[in-house]
Amino acid sequence: MSGPRDAATGSAAEPTAGRPVATAVVVGAGLAGLTAAAGLTARGIEVTVLEARDRVGGRTHGLAVAPGRQIDAGAAYLGDRHTELLSLVAELDLKTTPTTMLGASRFALGAQHATRDGRFPPLNAVALGDMFELLDELTAAVRPEAPWLTPDAERLDTTTAAAWADEHLTHPDARLFFPLFLGEMMAADPADVSVLHLAFYLRSGGGIRYLNAFEGGAQQDRIDGGAHQVCERLAERLGTRVRLGEPVLAVHQDADGVTAHSTRGSYRADVAVVALPPLLADTIDYRPGLPVRRAGGRTARGCAVKVNLVYPEPLWRQHGLSGWSVNAEGPLLSTVDDSPAADGVGVLTGFVTGSEAHRFAALDARRQRAAAVEQAARLFPMLPPPIGFHVTDWVNEQYSQGCYAALFGPGDWLRHGPTLTTAHHRVHWAGTETSTEYFGLMEGAIRSGTRVVAEILTRL
Amino acid sequence: MSPDSSTATTSPTASPTAEVQDLVAIFCRVLESTDVVADSDFFELGGDSLIATRVLSAIARGHGVELSFEDFVLAPTPEGLAAKIAAGR
Repeated sequence: MSGPRDAATGSAAEPTAGRPVATAVVVGAGLAGLTAAAGLTARGIEVTVLEARDRVGGRTHGLAVAPGRQIDAGAAYLGDRHTELLSLVAELDLKTTPTTMLGASRFALGAQHATRDGRFPPLNAVALGDMFELLDELTAAVRPEAPWLTPDAERLDTTTAAAWADEHLTHPDARLFFPLFLGEMMAADPADVSVLHLAFYLRSGGGIRYLNAFEGGAQQDRIDGGAHQVCERLAERLGTRVRLGEPVLAVHQDADGVTAHSTRGSYRADVAVVALPPLLADTIDYRPGLPVRRAGGRTARGCAVKVNLVYPEPLWRQHGLSGWSVNAEGPLLSTVDDSPAADGVGVLTGFVTGSEAHRFAALDARRQRAAAVEQAARLFPMLPPPIGFHVTDWVNEQYSQGCYAALFGPGDWLRHGPTLTTAHHRVHWAGTETSTEYFGLMEGAIRSGTRVVAEILTRL
Repeated sequence: MSPDSSTATTSPTASPTAEVQDLVAIFCRVLESTDVVADSDFFELGGDSLIATRVLSAIARGHGVELSFEDFVLAPTPEGLAAKIAAGR
């Protein structure tokens, strides 16, 4: 395995480049890993990025729906508070495009389908308001930079969001809407997350209103042509430093350095960055072993399956509809207009989240298509059958283990929170789950990558 | 004295001004803003349907009147909602 070893130690680097100040091996070529790799490279550190898949991008992934038309099969949305992502987008010569939300919404929350202006569901407004007031109270009380230090953290950490809802939500409309809201916001089933994680997640993302909003919120824009391009362009700049198809099995350290062992070779470096979701980071063999594992016994996979229905054009707009819908019954618990900015095909994205994601993922492809297409036809009877249909099952994706992000269950924050960003000797941790700012979002991933670069520069 | 005004003076409800002030305070709290006056439009101040429900929740708790989302949209100002509360009693 002399090839990879040479690349990592820098002896294969151009002679004119001189000796690198240090070497680093980065595990994972998602947004966090690539941000870290780009930052370290810019400071003269010789970097090797090891990626398990045959593509970069992690939980961002482009899907071709028509010639020259790519959409997001993974992470898609951003808002103007996502400043690190926005500056990266600009630096990489990419553009954003607004998420279209004009027109009436469709709701299937009871026996009948309803069409209403705006996004407000035909449910008891006071009951939903009571729920949002309670959630806002929880959100305001959390310590976002250190959730485990939140007042009453122990109780909040041991209680699931489902138990909290059972106790505090009395009106049937609030009980109906709560799991739909959690599914939309964090791809979680209420039984999977602690109240502390729920409150932290909402706070970290900028509060309930910001996280929920399209215009003026976290879903305001998309990246024209797909968010995966951010990763692709970062990887292009890194060139041969990025090695695909090399899942890392072990990270071993000694007094002089760290070695990452992939399925194809061993890479020696001064420091390592593990930029993986916690459940995946725990599949690596660390020596010496980690004092605290990256995930807990109750850490769950983010439960999102994304369904993309492709039409000849965004035909719902001609009927005064936005494409937005909210539905009590699955598989599509909500739909949104994700059509490419350029003229041409129309794309409705259906979100299958929470426990519904597990049910849907277990169906064979034919049944998935039948269930989703049938539901779309009930919601939007004016539409012809779709000309394209795509399912992206993030729950069972081997090298993500869930999406949008890992779900911290009871006990997780108190046990794992304090060491979330603590380096294990020469091993540093990145990934959106290590960012207390915009946790679970692309913005969080980038901020974690930037943090790791600063940590490593301090160490050197 | 007209029969109307005598009804008003014997009614034990809070004065309209106090109600409007309370609504201004609710707007300030949910909008996280200090720029609210009696005729401020909730949606122009950046409010949306989600936090509008929080205003309706606060009104139900503080004034014992359950207004609908449509009521809110038709009168999205502190004085407009105060009138809706008075009508709802």
